Amino acid sequence: MPLPRWALALADDHGCSGSTNAALASVTSLPNLDERALVARAQAGSRAAFEELVRRFDRDVLRLALNLMKRPEDARDVYQEAFLKVYRNLHRFRFECSFYTWLYRIVTNVCLDHLRRRQARPEDQAPELNSNHHEEGITDFFERQREHRPTLDPERVLIGQEIKSRITRAMERLSPRERVVFEMKHYQGLKLRAIGDVLGTTEETVKNSLFRATRKLRNELGGLR
Amino acid sequence: MSPLEKKSSCKDVAPLLVFYVCDEVSENERELIEVHLTSCTACSEQLAEEKEFHSALTSASQAADHFDSSGILLSQCRSELAEALDDLSAPPLQEHWRPFGWLRRWMALRPAWSGALLVLVGIALGTQLVPWMQRNSRDTGQAMNVRAPQALTPDQLRNMVVGGINISTSSGSEAPTVQLQVSAEQPMVLTGTADDSRMRQVLTYVVENTDRFDAEKRLDCLEALKAQAQDLQVRNAFLLAARKDQNPAVRLKAVEALRDAASEDEVRQMLLDALEHDNNPGVRVEALNSLVGSLDGGGPDNGTAGAAPAPSPDGEDLDRVVRVLQQLERRDPNRYVRLRSAAALRQLGPREVQ
Repeated sequence: MPLPRWALALADDHGCSGSTNAALASVTSLPNLDERALVARAQAGSRAAFEELVRRFDRDVLRLALNLMKRPEDARDVYQEAFLKVYRNLHRFRFECSFYTWLYRIVTNVCLDHLRRRQARPEDQAPELNSNHHEEGITDFFERQREHRPTLDPERVLIGQEIKSRITRAMERLSPRERVVFEMKHYQGLKLRAIGDVLGTTEETVKNSLFRATRKLRNELGGLR
Repeated sequence: MSPLEKKSSCKDVAPLLVFYVCDEVSENERELIEVHLTSCTACSEQLAEEKEFHSALTSASQAADHFDSSGILLSQCRSELAEALDDLSAPPLQEHWRPFGWLRRWMALRPAWSGALLVLVGIALGTQLVPWMQRNSRDTGQAMNVRAPQALTPDQLRNMVVGGINISTSSGSEAPTVQLQVSAEQPMVLTGTADDSRMRQVLTYVVENTDRFDAEKRLDCLEALKAQAQDLQVRNAFLLAARKDQNPAVRLKAVEALRDAASEDEVRQMLLDALEHDNNPGVRVEALNSLVGSLDGGGPDNGTAGAAPAPSPDGEDLDRVVRVLQQLERRDPNRYVRLRSAAALRQLGPREVQ
């Protein structure tokens, strides 16, 4: 099995002059390092350590970006921009919070910037996922929710897609910050305190944002009755 | 009813239900809610709705599931990030030697300002620098570069473009000053008199190349060289122009410029050729006058002190002169030419007799 890219990079980091075994040992030990040790190595200039950090967190980062931006190209931009910011500013990280929190702070700020820019330019609104939202006969959101259970019934699958598109449209009504809070709470599973840390605000403020977001969503989706 | 029960009301509990569903209430709030729910059906129904809503939201598939279920997007992102990191890690080699790197960076980041700045610089140069340079060049009384030009190379002459010619006769010198604006590899202004061999080189080149320079320029150069007809190079240029130039004004000017040398054999042959073949009557008239003047022993301008006496045609030359004059007398469409030729023949007749 060929060595991954970051393994070769680490070999480069170590000069690789007759010390291949030592370099390989360092590479193979990277996944076993804890977050703090990895960050310290990355801060010391190890590209391999940085790439290992990226691999630990980038799946969640991309998921968050996709859910918030709703467009793959925007999510890609967010991913790239966020990790490059992390790379450039890693020396400023002082371990005052977890790396995860610090990383998410950067990612959410990048997302918020993109969302605000998009709000300022309505022509850049994400395309609707489903255009059948005015279909007659679908009247009760909660009635349909009761039907939306894991099933192989194609009709219910279709209804599930319809619900998803309605939720997506309802999410578009939220402010960027409310969207971020709602996403992090319900889809990333973060506690409100952690969201507050990420956003650099208090838990109480996050709570208010979540409450407003939930009310807005219920109003939007409840209006279908 | 417990104190907690008494205290709690729907107004207090209802807003907490959202957080109760997602497990974001404190222990006190949880106890308050749970106690209240045991006795309040309205809040219990609202809680059921909140749960259902929460469940619907969290169970709905998300954009990430839809867009990157296969993980291809993640791979692309990783690859792009690695490339970007490679770029960041590469040593900025060019920064060390690139001049004005800071200026280029500044301009790249501010395209609008850069454009405005460049326009301003252009305006400033156009309105200030160029007039200043022109003023300076006028103040010194010189052309932009040299008074006595270096001899131009054949290549420069081949590529030369003449912009304009100024001829000024100054009171102190016999030869007029010639100012020639040319562009040969680079724009330059040649200033000097036709006495200068380097200036003559350029002027004769213009006269000889009828297809490269317009008639006005050739006429100006002929005018500037007129006093230098005794120079071999200049004379050859004049002869060529008198025979071959497409423009009759230039041919006329060349014939006129050679009037003082009309008694010389090659000039006389040129005059006879012109009388026989030139279709312009003005050129023929001028050629005839020059020829007759040379037969008279020199025209009015031929009295230059120290000049050798004009040799008269004899033998075959004289036969040709008479033959041409007889043809002109009989056939030339121009009356003046016919009459002048007849008069010349009458003058020659007694001489032949003598």
